[in-house]
Amino acid sequence: MSNGTPAARGTNLVKVYGEGDAAVRALDGISVEFAAGQFSAIMGPSGSGKSTLMHCMAGLDTITSGQVYVGDVELSTLNDKELTRLRRDRIGFIFQAYNLVPTLTAAENITLPMDIAGREPDKAWVDRLIDTVGLRPRLSHRPSELSGGQQQRVAAARALASRPGIVFADEPTGNLDSRASAEVLGFLRTSVREFDQTVVMVTHDPSAASYAERVVFLADGRIVDEMTEPTAEKVLDRMKGLGD
Amino acid sequence: MVRAVLKGLLAHKLRLFLTAMAVVLGVSFVAGTFVLTDTINKTFDTLFDEISAGTDVTVRAASGFGQGASTETARDTVPASLLEVVRRVPGVAAADGSVGGYAQFVDEAGKAVTTTGAPTLGFNWTQPGLSPLTLRSGREPQRAGEVVVDAVTAKAHKFAVGDKVKVLFRGPTEEFTVVGITGFGEADNLAGATLAIFDVNTAQRVFAKVGRFDSIDAKATEGISALALRDRVAGVVPAGVEVVTSQQVADEGADSVQQALGFFSTALLVFAGISLFVGGFIILNTFSILVAQRTRELALLRALGASRRQVLWSVVGEAFIVGLFASLVGLGLGILVALGLKALLAAFGIDLPASGLVIQPRTIIASLVVGVGVTVLSSISPARRASKIPPMAALRGGGVEQGGSLRRRSIAGAVVTALGGAALLRGLFGGGISLVGLGAALVFVGVALLSPLAAVPMARVIGAPFPRIAGMSGKLGRQNAMRNPRRTAATAAALTVGLGLVACVSVLAASIKSSAADVVDKYLAADFIISTSNFMPNISTDLAPRLARQPELAAVSALQTGEWRAQGATRGLFAGDPATLGQVLKLDVTAGDAGGLARGEVLVGEEELNDKKLAVGGTLAMTFARTGTKDLRIAGTFAENQLLGDYLVSTATFDANFTDRLDFAVLAKSRAGVSPADARTAVERVTADFPNVELRDQAEFKQQQEDQVNQILGLISALLALSIIIALFGIVNTLALSILERTRELGLLRAVGMSRRQVRSMIRGESVIIAVLGAILGLAVGVLFGYAIVGALDDEGIGKVVIPGGQLIAYVVLAGVAGVIAAVFPARRAARLDVLAAISHE
Ligand SMILES: Nc1ncnc2c1ncn2[C@@H]1O[C@H](COP(=O)(O)OP(=O)(O)OP(=O)(O)O)[C@@H](O)[C@H]1O
Ligand SMILES: [Mg+2]
Repeated sequence: MSNGTPAARGTNLVKVYGEGDAAVRALDGISVEFAAGQFSAIMGPSGSGKSTLMHCMAGLDTITSGQVYVGDVELSTLNDKELTRLRRDRIGFIFQAYNLVPTLTAAENITLPMDIAGREPDKAWVDRLIDTVGLRPRLSHRPSELSGGQQQRVAAARALASRPGIVFADEPTGNLDSRASAEVLGFLRTSVREFDQTVVMVTHDPSAASYAERVVFLADGRIVDEMTEPTAEKVLDRMKGLGD
Repeated sequence: MVRAVLKGLLAHKLRLFLTAMAVVLGVSFVAGTFVLTDTINKTFDTLFDEISAGTDVTVRAASGFGQGASTETARDTVPASLLEVVRRVPGVAAADGSVGGYAQFVDEAGKAVTTTGAPTLGFNWTQPGLSPLTLRSGREPQRAGEVVVDAVTAKAHKFAVGDKVKVLFRGPTEEFTVVGITGFGEADNLAGATLAIFDVNTAQRVFAKVGRFDSIDAKATEGISALALRDRVAGVVPAGVEVVTSQQVADEGADSVQQALGFFSTALLVFAGISLFVGGFIILNTFSILVAQRTRELALLRALGASRRQVLWSVVGEAFIVGLFASLVGLGLGILVALGLKALLAAFGIDLPASGLVIQPRTIIASLVVGVGVTVLSSISPARRASKIPPMAALRGGGVEQGGSLRRRSIAGAVVTALGGAALLRGLFGGGISLVGLGAALVFVGVALLSPLAAVPMARVIGAPFPRIAGMSGKLGRQNAMRNPRRTAATAAALTVGLGLVACVSVLAASIKSSAADVVDKYLAADFIISTSNFMPNISTDLAPRLARQPELAAVSALQTGEWRAQGATRGLFAGDPATLGQVLKLDVTAGDAGGLARGEVLVGEEELNDKKLAVGGTLAMTFARTGTKDLRIAGTFAENQLLGDYLVSTATFDANFTDRLDFAVLAKSRAGVSPADARTAVERVTADFPNVELRDQAEFKQQQEDQVNQILGLISALLALSIIIALFGIVNTLALSILERTRELGLLRAVGMSRRQVRSMIRGESVIIAVLGAILGLAVGVLFGYAIVGALDDEGIGKVVIPGGQLIAYVVLAGVAGVIAAVFPARRAARLDVLAAISHE
């Protein structure tokens, strides 16, 4: 999954919601690659198509035209069952909220995708994630007994637990204060830098984006800019230009 | 507010449908029962009116049971000479006598033609105009050896004019030539009865009433009223003969049928009531879930200024509309139920004269009141909870689980269960059947209140194998069943009721079966038991004497049963041959002298004697329909014998006080040294001539008793099945609502890779746990009920409780299967959720 093939890529992605007069072009011809082992951020004004792009790249939604590849698999060739298996085995997810199954403990939530697959989790790897994310003392707690930040860290560990080819995170820190955000983002950065994982994160927050190595800017369903080595200030400046 | 309620309901048509279903089925049962019994009642009214349409007054022997005694009760006959006397009364346009009794056709295969409950009747052809018979083909019977057959029997057994046909009577079987086929008024037969019509002399001979009539019917000339004619005729008849209007005879007939039907209708209504009770649980549970799910919405309403009362009424209002809707649908469905039952009766050969379904205002009102009442009552507790939601709850997020302490609820549950148990026991031991019903209902409510305590540990145990079977989906299913104990318990409680009753009946049946086998060993000495298939007293009196002449048999005794009255209460008695009775039954005379039987005295069961404060040597005033009150000397007492009841007289005494003796059973004991096979051959030699009887040895008799109990068990279980189906709808409903509530979670599971199949398996697991939980609680309650009832029936000779273990386990397995079925629809819905929509679901 390293050099050469990107972790995920989309070419000429078009997504149209609705029909006729009410049609909305949420994605309007986007081509994008997410290199393996990279931490990317997607930014853009509200309604610019960030979530849509992410959902389409992750096989949660179908595109109207264009191609999406996760690793070397083209998603349009997969049926629902195969897509489900792809999500389970090769993609990690972190949503803004409600990431966890309330009846399961933190530990059980972390290994959920493997348990669904009926596979033994890689114990050493999961232990490493748990220690990195600092959840060891909370493992037997249920989500309702965890703070929002802790919950998102559990979700992040869950997303990485099966060593997916790529992790998609849609505003994972959208509901968190700055300290809790920093913990989650720090963990994601560590997992990319030290554990060689791939993360794509949608965010509104320039300082969150500064954790990434690369930022893609969307507006009206198109990519309008890219930035490597982002800092919070640079991102903020660019965002002002997009009129968010 | 009303508009908000209506809008809310229409927005959730499916929910409305599922909730209403619980009430619909119960109401349709109620409505169907009313419509059916009203229709049958009307049918019989019309039928009996038709029977007496051509006549104005009826002359008959007075009944010892007094005026208004039902026509079913055998009366004495009147002399045939009375007919001429009646005919000469001025104002009598026409009169004829009728005489009838038991007459059963033998079909082409040599088997007795049987009915499902209706009698097999024979009587004489009376003057046209006085009789409701309408010849369809051929002619009336004119001389010996001729018979006219009803159209239904003729059609079913291909009897045509000119055919020879055998007919069974009290006496010897005889052969006749069919000379005509008749209808009964408009209908093809008399409500399922078979009819054999003879000329008057033949009828008098075969029914052993030579020179006698059962009754004489007269028609008035133009201008004379039935009442006037009645009084005129009354002036010429001797003492002991009464004259009544034919209308009164018709009313008596209809009344007696309606009384018999009353029991049937009450029984059906009890089952309808059980269904509605179960429906109530489901409504309560559904509204509880809805209120919990709408906490935020309701709190917002409160924050915006809605009063508590308004919130309360919005929930009750919704229930009212659901109840009304359900009752109307149930009413419509009930008419279909009645139509179905009527078609079923027709299929069984009971051809009711064409009359439309009778829908009385009472049916409509009762259905609506019951349906709306149950729904609204069940919604009150959730509505009260809704009204207590503080406006602040609007600000707190998330799905709000029902609060309140389980402790208070459990204490209440324990108290209600204890009260219910006490009422049940009180009812069983003398307090009456309605107390039993109330007690049982309270126990079920109490158990439902208590069950959330048990729900979590029980679900854990029941679901223990699931993770191994279905992996993560099994584990999640189990945890979902445990996450809201109240909801799981309340859903299961509905099933608890149905299965509790089924289990109770099963325990009873098993206990009765085992005691029945004991009864045979304990009380029966005969080797062979001869009876008709439905235990109707229809055995020819010819059979026993012929059997007695077989050298292979040591003793033969025929048994008769009859009714008598004392102090207004109707009691039963048995009669047999004093010479042989002791050899075929283990008759243990504990005081006095059994020899008194032969002198026309009565033997009384030991306990009954004490109960009724009678004494050996004293007299017992027994009132018979035919002969009035007779004082019989009490010859002695006998130890309890389940096969004999409490009063025993000789066959001669029976003959002296009852008309138309037919034997109810014939018992035979083989001679010592004769092999069972030889003895049986000897018995069969005789019974071959009596196609309506069945021969059984002791083992076969035991088996038959068992089969009968099984049949009743099957029937009751079938009727209880409705309440179980309703409970399954409850599971469907709860699961569907829970899925709605867990949309996000399902979306998440699907997003991280749970397949649709695994989602279905997860829902199925939860469903199976709920169903099995309900079943196990039901079985526990049912077995306890069984113990209580068997304890109360100790006097009736059901000695020990037998727990049909295998059967009970089968019920649990079936409940599990039912759980799988209940999960089909919710599981499919859950699996079909659009992942993206679910994730972004509010
Ligand atoms: N299911 C849908 N049906 C119709 N239109 C939709 C749907 N989902 C998204 N859209 C539209 O597509 C466009 C892109 O939406 P998207 O959710 O991708 O934006 P976003 O960049 O994630 O915005 P935000 O920052 O607010 O989350 C918007 O105009 C939105 O209204
Ligand atoms: Mg978005």
